[in-house]
Amino acid sequence: MTAAATPPAIALEALVKEYPGGTRAVREISMEILEGEFFGLLGPNGAGKTTSIHMLTGLSEPTSGEVRIQGVSMASRPLEAKSRLGFVPQEFAFYPSLSALDNLRFFGSLYGLRGERLERRVREALEISALGRRSRGPVSTFSNGMMRRLNVAVGLVHEPRVLILDEPTVGVDAQNRRALHETLERLNRQGVTVLYTTHQMEEAQRLCRRVAIMDRGRILHADTPEALVRRFGEGLVRVELKSPLPTEARERLARLDSVQGLDGSGRIWHLKAREPERAVQDVLALAGVREAGVLGLNILEPNLESVFIHVTGRRLRDPGEGAPAPLAEENG
Amino acid sequence: MTYQVLALTVKELKVLWRDREALVLLFAMPLFFIVVMSWALQGVYEAGTRDRPVRVLVVNRDRGDRAAEVLSDLKGLEGLLWVEAVEGNPLTLERAESLVRKGRFPLALHFQEGFSDAFQPAPPGPSPEETPAVLVADPGLNRPLLSSVRGSVLGAIQRRLWSARLGPLAAGLDPGGGEAGTGMLGVRLLSRFEDRRRPTAAEQHVPAYTIFGVFFIVLTLASGLLRERQEGTFRRILTAPMTRATLLVGKLVPYYLVNLVQIGLMFAVGVLLFGVRPGSVPALVVVSLALAASANGMGLLVAALGRTEAQVNGFSVLLAVALSALGGMMVPSFVMPPGLRLLSRFTPHAWALEGYHDAMIRGLGLRDVLPESAVLLGFAVLFFAFALWWFRFDR
Repeated sequence: MTAAATPPAIALEALVKEYPGGTRAVREISMEILEGEFFGLLGPNGAGKTTSIHMLTGLSEPTSGEVRIQGVSMASRPLEAKSRLGFVPQEFAFYPSLSALDNLRFFGSLYGLRGERLERRVREALEISALGRRSRGPVSTFSNGMMRRLNVAVGLVHEPRVLILDEPTVGVDAQNRRALHETLERLNRQGVTVLYTTHQMEEAQRLCRRVAIMDRGRILHADTPEALVRRFGEGLVRVELKSPLPTEARERLARLDSVQGLDGSGRIWHLKAREPERAVQDVLALAGVREAGVLGLNILEPNLESVFIHVTGRRLRDPGEGAPAPLAEENG
Repeated sequence: MTYQVLALTVKELKVLWRDREALVLLFAMPLFFIVVMSWALQGVYEAGTRDRPVRVLVVNRDRGDRAAEVLSDLKGLEGLLWVEAVEGNPLTLERAESLVRKGRFPLALHFQEGFSDAFQPAPPGPSPEETPAVLVADPGLNRPLLSSVRGSVLGAIQRRLWSARLGPLAAGLDPGGGEAGTGMLGVRLLSRFEDRRRPTAAEQHVPAYTIFGVFFIVLTLASGLLRERQEGTFRRILTAPMTRATLLVGKLVPYYLVNLVQIGLMFAVGVLLFGVRPGSVPALVVVSLALAASANGMGLLVAALGRTEAQVNGFSVLLAVALSALGGMMVPSFVMPPGLRLLSRFTPHAWALEGYHDAMIRGLGLRDVLPESAVLLGFAVLFFAFALWWFRFDR
């Protein structure tokens, strides 16, 4: 078989999820994640990430469209498709009254592992998660970081070729997060395809070979982080004011020749500019802005965070000052 | 501090208000108990009173007049109603026994052919095999009520016996406490066990409280299912290559087994510590299998309906205790008013108790408990059907 004939690890074809009452959580998304890729699915809460993950892990049925795991249809051959997947949910989904060993044995056996193979995989999963020394005590006595590691180990115990992680670092300290990243990178080097959902831009930029930005049930763009940053992340200026910007001043700001787009509310504003240095000078010269008092004016480092602001009109994490307004229409 | 207490109080009231089903249960449960228990226990506290007389069938085969005289005296007593014909037909012994067996009447009084002859001084010779009068009772009848009726009948017989032997001298004498005439009345329980052997307290209580305990699996099962749903373990398990049906069966089987072990243990305690006779073991096994199925079905139904821990706990306790009361676990159903007795037939508890009593107390076999077992399985099918309709793994 040639490399070209290898089906994608995950393929979503025109996937739609509509709930009773007409709410469309996912609006016809299509994408392919190739074998061995480390792929990031980025989006704020409510973007449709978890609904998409539920459909591609077989937890919920799409209203229309299709999911294929390594070429196997989740709709027509769900058990075979599921056997190729490992899933790490955001919540600690295991049994706290049991030991790590018992949890891993239980979840491994659900995938048909038995006898020596099961024991070997349990040992390996414990090693990966560095839980070997505490493997026999009840999980309820574990620290938050240990539980997080066990949560990942449970998803790995059956040696899946495709691993899906739904926001696995929520509430994890820097040290444990780094350890988890290293584990995932090692697995990925061994050929495991990783689909990683997060709203932490830094880790997506560090880990993922490709990312898709999702918002309001749609995939807006999918590419390498570098390409996205080149395309959307450059020329973003952050303006912090002492007092909220009056409406009239905001309108004048949006009309500046050097400003292509405007996002924000109250005291914090983001400008999209082709020539950021010129935009900074124009902003400082604007009477309404001077009256509001400028606390800070920064040309943002181009990264996924600035990409996200540009393509969705809002930031990934909840802003400090109310809901942000969408970017103003670009001035040509 | 006051503001903090106030804030906490307001917050807690809001939380409670938003879980209105749980709130309703808080009020509904005691209300339900007050109504059901008061209604059901009327039979216990008022059975044998003018308002709630105990109905006793009478089969009079006496060749003489003494039985009629005794019966005439008995009819003057308050709290006992003597039934000599059913549906317009005089009673035969077989018919009376059949009605008692079916639970339509708790007792039958049978005057033997030679009842009047027994009023004559006994000639020397062997004692007759059966007493001249026999009180035929359902073995499930509670003992105080049986003793009370037996005392009344024996008192009437003794009075007539004294009167026959002493003539006018007997007038005004109280026969109570005397030994004379005590051999005139025997009690026979409708059982294949040897005559005069009455069911012990343990034989009454072991099946009843076993059933009571079996339905507490509803709480364990429903809260276990709710926890798995809330903590996301169900979702994670369902990403493994298995169907929802497999998950559900795998989840229910251990609880079913726990129920069977529970039943086995309760009966073992009854047999080993209290000398309970299990009767037909195959019959007990069949009833137990069906009973555990219906208890598990109810557990799944509660898990399907309850959305919070408070709701699941409330529903479970309400069902476990209230249905036990209604089903005759705490109060025998024959002392219940007719309406409530009819209602008790809509609980799996009543059918399970009936099945166990058939096997243990009435000495019946496997074929005889098939109807009760079928009804229990019917309950199980009904509970499972509704539960599967409502149950969600990820709500």
